[in-house]
Amino acid sequence: MIKADALTKRYGGLTAIRGVSFEIAKGEVVGFLGPNGAGKTTTMRILTGYLPPSEGSAVVGGFDLARDPSAAKRVTGYLPETPPLYPEMRVCDYVRYVATLHDVPRAQRGAKVERAIHACGLDAVADRVIRTLSKGFRQRVGLAQAIVHEPAVLILDEPTSGLDPIQIAEIRELIRRLATEEGRTVILSTHILAEVEAICQRVLLIAYGQLRVDARLDALREQGSLEQVFVREVQAAASRDADAAAATAAAAAVVEAEP
Amino acid sequence: MSHVLAIAGRELRSIFATPVAYVLIAVYMLFAGFVFFASLGMFLVQLEQIQAMGMMQLLERWNLQDIVIAQSFSTFAIFLAFVVPLLAMRAFAEERATGSIELLLTSPVSSTEIVLGKYLAIAALLLLVTVLTGLYPLLLFAYGDPELWQTLSGLQTLLLYALSLAALCCFISALTRSQIVAGLVGVALALILLLIPFAAESSQSETMRGVLRWLGSSTHYEPGLTGEVRSEDLAYFGLVILASLSMARAAVDSLRWR
Repeated sequence: MIKADALTKRYGGLTAIRGVSFEIAKGEVVGFLGPNGAGKTTTMRILTGYLPPSEGSAVVGGFDLARDPSAAKRVTGYLPETPPLYPEMRVCDYVRYVATLHDVPRAQRGAKVERAIHACGLDAVADRVIRTLSKGFRQRVGLAQAIVHEPAVLILDEPTSGLDPIQIAEIRELIRRLATEEGRTVILSTHILAEVEAICQRVLLIAYGQLRVDARLDALREQGSLEQVFVREVQAAASRDADAAAATAAAAAVVEAEP
Repeated sequence: MSHVLAIAGRELRSIFATPVAYVLIAVYMLFAGFVFFASLGMFLVQLEQIQAMGMMQLLERWNLQDIVIAQSFSTFAIFLAFVVPLLAMRAFAEERATGSIELLLTSPVSSTEIVLGKYLAIAALLLLVTVLTGLYPLLLFAYGDPELWQTLSGLQTLLLYALSLAALCCFISALTRSQIVAGLVGVALALILLLIPFAAESSQSETMRGVLRWLGSSTHYEPGLTGEVRSEDLAYFGLVILASLSMARAAVDSLRWR
C-alpha cells in the first residue's frame, strides 16, 4: 500500500532523512517512532505529497507521488501535527469543504460528511464554530477531515500530542477503530511508546534521519521492552552520527590544510 | 472548477467572519462619501460664481460628470491603492502562518485552482465595493443629469484597477507568512505604480518617459474614469492580472518545494 524507496531529503545543507526505505502492506497499522527532529514529519510529508524528496521515490496506494500526485492524494488521509483547521468555520462546513477538495462526489458528500462526523464523535458539536472547541475536539475534527473521503491510507502525525490522558485514551480508541474498519493502512508517529504497543502491529524507528528498526512488535518484544530498544537504537545512531560528523570534520580539516 | 468554487466560497466566508473587511469597506465608503459630497458642494459654489460672472463658455463645460463624478473617482482610485492590498494581504500569508495551507497542498488540488479560488473571492469582494461606490453617483441621477455610460465606464475602470492590484497583492501574499508585510509591501507597490508617471516627466530620454508612463497605473485608469475606454488600458490591466496570477501560481508551486 505504501512503498518508500531510498527517500532522502535535504534542506539546503541539512540532511533531514537519508536513504529511508520501507514497505507497508494493506491493513497494517505501523507506529513511526523516533526522537524529535529525527525526520518523522519529513518522511510523512513526503508520503502525503506535501514535500518532494531530494532523492528516491514513494508510491502510495499504487500511485507514484512524482508521476501521479493527485491520485495518490485522493487515497490518502492526512492529519498534520497541527490540524489544518479554519477556526472561524463550523465543524460540518469544514469537513464538507475538505470532502469537496478531495473530490467526494456531490451526491455522496452529505452522507460521508455525516459519517465522518459521527465516527469521530462530533455529532454534538457539528454546528459549533471550531474556534470554540477544546483541544481534544479539535484533534477529532482533524481526524474527521482525514477520513471524510474514506481513504485507504491514513497518515497521522503525532495525533495525541498535547492532549490530556482521557483525551489521549479517546483518540487512541478512535484511531484503533478507524484502522480496523475497512482494513485501512495506517502510519502514525508518536513519542509515546505505550501508544505504539496499544495500537500498532509494526514499528519503524527513525533516528538521525536513518531508519534503524523495521520489525513487528511481537518480534521486538523478544529483544526487551520497546523503551530499551528505543534508547539503544537512538544511542547507537547518535554515536554513529557523531563518528560520521567527526569523520566529515576531519576530512574538511584535511582539505582546508591543503594549499 | 468545483475546487475553485469551494476555495473561493470558503475564502469569502472567512473574509466576512472577521471585522477586517467590514471595517476597511466602511472606512473606504466614509472617505469616498466625504470626497464625493465635498466635490459636489464645491461644484455648486463654483457654478454660482460662474453664473454670476456670466462666463457662458465655461458654463458649458462645467458639468456634473467631469467635475464631480470623474474627479471623485480619480480620488477613489487613490483610496483603493490602500484598501485593496489590505483586503488581499491575507490570501496566502494567513494560511501559511496557521499551517492550514498544508491541507490545500496535500489535497488533490492544483496550484492554479488554489490561486484562482483565492482570487475569485477577492474579485467578488471588489465587485461589491464597486457596486457600493456606484451608490454615490446614483444619487446624482435622482437630481441631475449625469452621463450614464461615462459613469459606468468610470466604475468599470475602478473595478479593473482594483482587480489588477488584487492580483499583484495575491502574489505578494504568497511570498510571506506575515499579513502585515504583505499588506505594507502591497500598499507601497500600489503607490509606486500610481506615482511612476510623475517621475516620468523628469526623465531626459523620450523612450524612458514613454516606458515609465506606460508602467504607471494612473496613466491607464484616468482615461476610463472620464468615459474614454481604450483597448491599450484594458490590455494593461489584463496583462498585470495575468502576470501576477502566474507569478502567484509559481509562488504556490514553490511552497511545495521547501
